[in-house]
Amino acid sequence: MKKLLRKKEFSIFLIIVFISIVITVASPTFLRPDNLIDVLKGNVVLGIMALGMLPVLISGGIDLSVTGTIALSAVLCGKLMVTYGSNIWMVFLLAILIGAGIGFLDGIIIAKLRIPPIVTTLGMQSVFVGIVLLYTNGDWITNLPPWFKQFGTFTVGVLPNGSGGTLGIPVQIVFLIAAGLITWFVLKYTLIGRGIYAIGGSRSSALRVGYNIDRIQVFIYMYCGVMAGIAGVLHTSIVQQVDPNTFTGMELNVIVAVVIGGASTVGGSGTVFGTFLGVILMAVLENGMVLARIPTFWQKIVMGIIIVIATSFDVINHKREQNKLVRVDIEE
Amino acid sequence: MKKVLALILSAALCLSMAACDGGSTPTTVGSQPAADSGKTDSADESKSGTKTIAVMPKLVGIPYFTQTGEGAQQAGKDLGVNVIYTGPTKADAAEQVKMIEDLITRKVDAICVAPNDAAAVIPVLQKAKAAGILILDWDTPVNDEVVDASVHQIDDKEFGEHLVDQLVKAMGTDSGDFAYVTGGLSAPNLNAWYDAGMAYAKTKYPNLHLVTDKIPTDEKQQVAYTKTLDLIKAYPDLKGIVALSTPAPLGCAQAVREKGLQGKISVVGSAVEADSQEFLEDGSLDSASLWDCASLGYLTVSIAKTMLDGQKLTNGMELKGKDGTIKLQLKSDGKTIIMGPPADYVKK
Amino acid sequence: MKSWKAWKAKHSNELTLLLILLGVFVLMSVLSPSKFLSPGNIQTMAFQMPEFGLMALGMMAAILTGGINLSITSVGALSGIVSAFVLSSPWAKTNPVLATLLAVVVCVAIAALTGLLNGFVIAYVGVAAMLTTLGTMTLFDGISLNLTKGGSIAGFPSLFIQIGNGSVGGIPIPILIYTVAVVAAYYILERSAWGIQVYMTGCNRIATSFSGINTKRTLLLVYVFSSVMAGLGGLIIISRYNSAKVDYGSSYMMNSVAAVVLGGTSINGGHGTVAGTVIAVAIIQMVSSGLNILGVNRYIVDIVIGVILIAVLAIRSLAGIYDRAKLLRKHTAS
Repeated sequence: MKKLLRKKEFSIFLIIVFISIVITVASPTFLRPDNLIDVLKGNVVLGIMALGMLPVLISGGIDLSVTGTIALSAVLCGKLMVTYGSNIWMVFLLAILIGAGIGFLDGIIIAKLRIPPIVTTLGMQSVFVGIVLLYTNGDWITNLPPWFKQFGTFTVGVLPNGSGGTLGIPVQIVFLIAAGLITWFVLKYTLIGRGIYAIGGSRSSALRVGYNIDRIQVFIYMYCGVMAGIAGVLHTSIVQQVDPNTFTGMELNVIVAVVIGGASTVGGSGTVFGTFLGVILMAVLENGMVLARIPTFWQKIVMGIIIVIATSFDVINHKREQNKLVRVDIEE
Repeated sequence: MKKVLALILSAALCLSMAACDGGSTPTTVGSQPAADSGKTDSADESKSGTKTIAVMPKLVGIPYFTQTGEGAQQAGKDLGVNVIYTGPTKADAAEQVKMIEDLITRKVDAICVAPNDAAAVIPVLQKAKAAGILILDWDTPVNDEVVDASVHQIDDKEFGEHLVDQLVKAMGTDSGDFAYVTGGLSAPNLNAWYDAGMAYAKTKYPNLHLVTDKIPTDEKQQVAYTKTLDLIKAYPDLKGIVALSTPAPLGCAQAVREKGLQGKISVVGSAVEADSQEFLEDGSLDSASLWDCASLGYLTVSIAKTMLDGQKLTNGMELKGKDGTIKLQLKSDGKTIIMGPPADYVKK
Repeated sequence: MKSWKAWKAKHSNELTLLLILLGVFVLMSVLSPSKFLSPGNIQTMAFQMPEFGLMALGMMAAILTGGINLSITSVGALSGIVSAFVLSSPWAKTNPVLATLLAVVVCVAIAALTGLLNGFVIAYVGVAAMLTTLGTMTLFDGISLNLTKGGSIAGFPSLFIQIGNGSVGGIPIPILIYTVAVVAAYYILERSAWGIQVYMTGCNRIATSFSGINTKRTLLLVYVFSSVMAGLGGLIIISRYNSAKVDYGSSYMMNSVAAVVLGGTSINGGHGTVAGTVIAVAIIQMVSSGLNILGVNRYIVDIVIGVILIAVLAIRSLAGIYDRAKLLRKHTAS
C-alpha cells in the first residue's frame, strides 16, 4: 500500500480527485454522465496523441511535428472523402500511412543524421504545416460525406444517463481505449517496449546491451506519427469539418499532458496510466472552469499556475524520496 | 570539407528557390491563391501605366474573404488593373503590418486593407502614404485621417440593431438570456455591431439579459463550436445567441444542432449565404444576415481605380459594380462609402 | 599566420553561416534587383529584424544552459502590455517624455520579474526548463489576456512610436537598440566571468557545481537575462504596432529556437556564439523578406526555413561524422 502511495501517478490522481470535488461543489452538472462523456469525447484527440507521444518522451526525445502530422492527415483524408467518396477503411489507412511516413522521416533524420529530436521535429513541423497551408490555402473542407458524419456520431453500448434515459459511448472513446491498451502492451510486454525505456534510461548502456537503437527510434517516431494520423481522422469526425489552422499549438498541450502524468522530459520513465491521468487532469480542469463560470481570461492563468505547481510538487516529492536513500552515485 | 558543403548548400538553395519562384502560384482548392500575380520585377512594370492595387483582407482562408477576393480579382480584369489580393493566414494584426511593409517595398499604387486592429496599422499606413500610395480601408474602418476613402458594406449601427431585431423575432419573445459570440476582439466592425446592438437592446428590449462578456472566436468556426458547447453547459437557460463574424454563426449552429436544441436556442448572425443553407435547413441557424461579399471586393477595387485615375468621389456618381453600374453612396465627410442595406437569408 | 588559421578553425561555423548569408543576399538581389536592393527594403528589413533578433538572443541564453525558454514571447507581450497601460493613460499625453522613459523602465522591470519566476522554479525548485516555461508561458498569456480582455491597448504618444518607427541619421532606431543589445550580450556571455559560468553550467552542471560555482544563481540570472531580452523585443514590437496585444510576436518563439540552433548553439548547451545567432537571425530575415517581395506564397517561406534548418544541421552533422572518421583513419593508419 505504501508503495502505491509513493508512486508519482498517485499524487496526480489525488489532485484530480481534489479538483473534481471542488468543481462538483461549484456546479453539480459536472458529475452528470452526459457531461463526463462529453468531456472525454472532447479530449480523445489529446489522449491519443499523448499516447503516441509517451514512447517518444520515455526514450528521451520529443516530437514537435505532430501538429503537422495531424493537420496533414485531416486535410488529405478530408480531400479523399470529398473527391473520391471512399470508405472508412481507406480513410484510416491513408491516415496511418501519412503518420507513418512523417514519423519515418523524423526517425531516420534523428537516428542517422544524429540531429537532436527537438530540432528535427521543429523543422519538420515547419515544413509540413507549411505544406498543409500551401495545399489548402487555409480553406476549410466542409462537405464531408454523410456516412462519415454518421461515423462521427456513432455510439456503442448503452449506459444510463442522469435523468432516466440512456447514453451511448461515442466511438471515438472506443478508439482511445484501444490505443491505450495497445500502447500499454507494447511498452510493457514487448522487446521494443523495454528497449524504449532502456534508451531513455541510458543510451550507451542500451547500446552495449545490444538494442538496435536506430531501429527503435524509427519505430517510436513512426508510432507517434500513426497516432497523430488517426487522431486527425477522429478530430475531423468530431467537429465534422477540416480547418487547417486549428491545430496550432497542439504539440505543447500534448507534451504537458504526458509530463503531468509522470513522464520525465529527459526520459526513462512514464506509464500509460499516468498519461491517461494527465489527460484527464487537463480535461477536468478545462471543463471545470467552464462549468464554474470562471471567465475565459482567468482560465489560462489557472491552467498555467496548475502546471507550474503540479510539476514543482512532483519534483519536490522526488527529491525528498532521493534524500531518504543512501546514494553512492553522484547526482544532482 | 564543411566549406565545400556550405557552398553546395547555398547553390542548392539558389536553385530550389528559383524553381520555387517558377511555381509560386499554386493551384489550390478551387479558390484564390494567396500568392499573387506579378512575380518578378519585370512582370510588375511590364504593363506600363497599369496600376497595381493591393487588397488585403483580415485573413485568408475563410469563405467570406475568399469571395471578396474573387470580386476584387474580377474587378481587376474588368477595369484593367493589376490586383494583388493577399492577407495573413490568421486574424493577426502584426502579420498585416509586416505584409503592408512588404507591399510598400513592392511599390504598389494603392493599398486597401481590412484591419484586424485599426490602431496597429496606422503607423505603417502613414509610411505608405508618405511613399505616395493611395490608402483605403474596406470591410472594417481604420477610423483615422490616414485613409483616403473608407468602404463600408453597410451602416454598422444599422446592422448591429438589425441583428438584435432578428434575434428577438427568432426567439419569439423579447425577454430571456442571450449571449454574443464574436470574431476577433479588436475588429472595429464587429465591435461597432456589438456596441450598437447592446445599446439598442437596452432601450428597446430591456428584458433581454446578457449572460456573459462577448466571447471571442478568432474567426474560427471550430472555436465558435466548442465555445458554444461550453456556453450551453454553463448557462442552461440560454435562449438566444447573436454571432458576429462569418464563421461564428455556423459554429454556434453546429453546437446547437449537436445538442438537439434547435427549438430552444435561437441563433442569428452574420454568415455567408452558401454556407448557412445547411444550418438554416434544420433550424439550428434561425437567420443569417450579410451582404454580397464579392460585390464588396469589386466595389473596393472600383473605387480605388477611380481615385487613382484622379477623379474625386461625389455622392451619386456612377461607378462600375459587380452586377452593372451602381450609384455611389458617399457620406457627408467625403470619405465614407456605404454599399447598401443588409440582406437576410432564411430557409429556402 | 598560425593564429589566423586557428581563428578560422575556431570560428568555422560562423564563417560558414556568413557565406550562406552572403549567398542568400546575392540570390535575392539577383531575383529582384530594384526591389530587394532598394534602400526602402533594406530599411524595412532593418525595422523587422531587431524584435526577432532580441527574442533569439534571449532564447540563446536559455539554450546555452541546456534548457529552453518557451515563455519568451509571452514575456515580451506581457511587459509590452503593462508598458502600454502607462503609455495610453491620459497622463502620458501631457508628459510624453516622462511617459516614454517610464514605459521603458516598466517594461524591463516586468520582464526581469518574470525572469526571476522562471529562474526560481528552474534553478531552485528544479523543474525541467521546458515544463516550467511552458507553464509560465500559459500563466503570462493568461495575465495578458486578463489585462487586455483579449483586445489591444492602443494609442501611444508619438514620441514613443518613434522608438519603433523612427531613424537617427538614416539608421532605424530599433537597429541601434539591437546593436547595443548584441554587443552587450557578447560581452556578458562570451567575455565575462559570469558568462563563462553560464557555458560551464550548460556543458556539465554537476561538474561545474562541484567546481565551486553557484549554478543555481547562475541559472537564475540566465533566465532573468533571457526575459529582459524578450522585454526589449516586446518594447520594440508595441512601438512598431502602436498597440499591445497578447499574441503579437507569438510566431517568434519557435523561429527563435530555429535561429539559435541554426547559429550553431548546441541544443544541449555549453556551446554557441552570439555572432552565430545574429547571423542566423539575419539569414532568416532575408529569406523571409526576399521571398515576400517575390510574391512567393507565404507558406513556402515557412517550408523553406524548415528545410534550411534541417539541411544546415544535417550538413554539420555529416561533416562532423566525416571529420571524426578522417581523424580515426589518420590515427589508426599511423
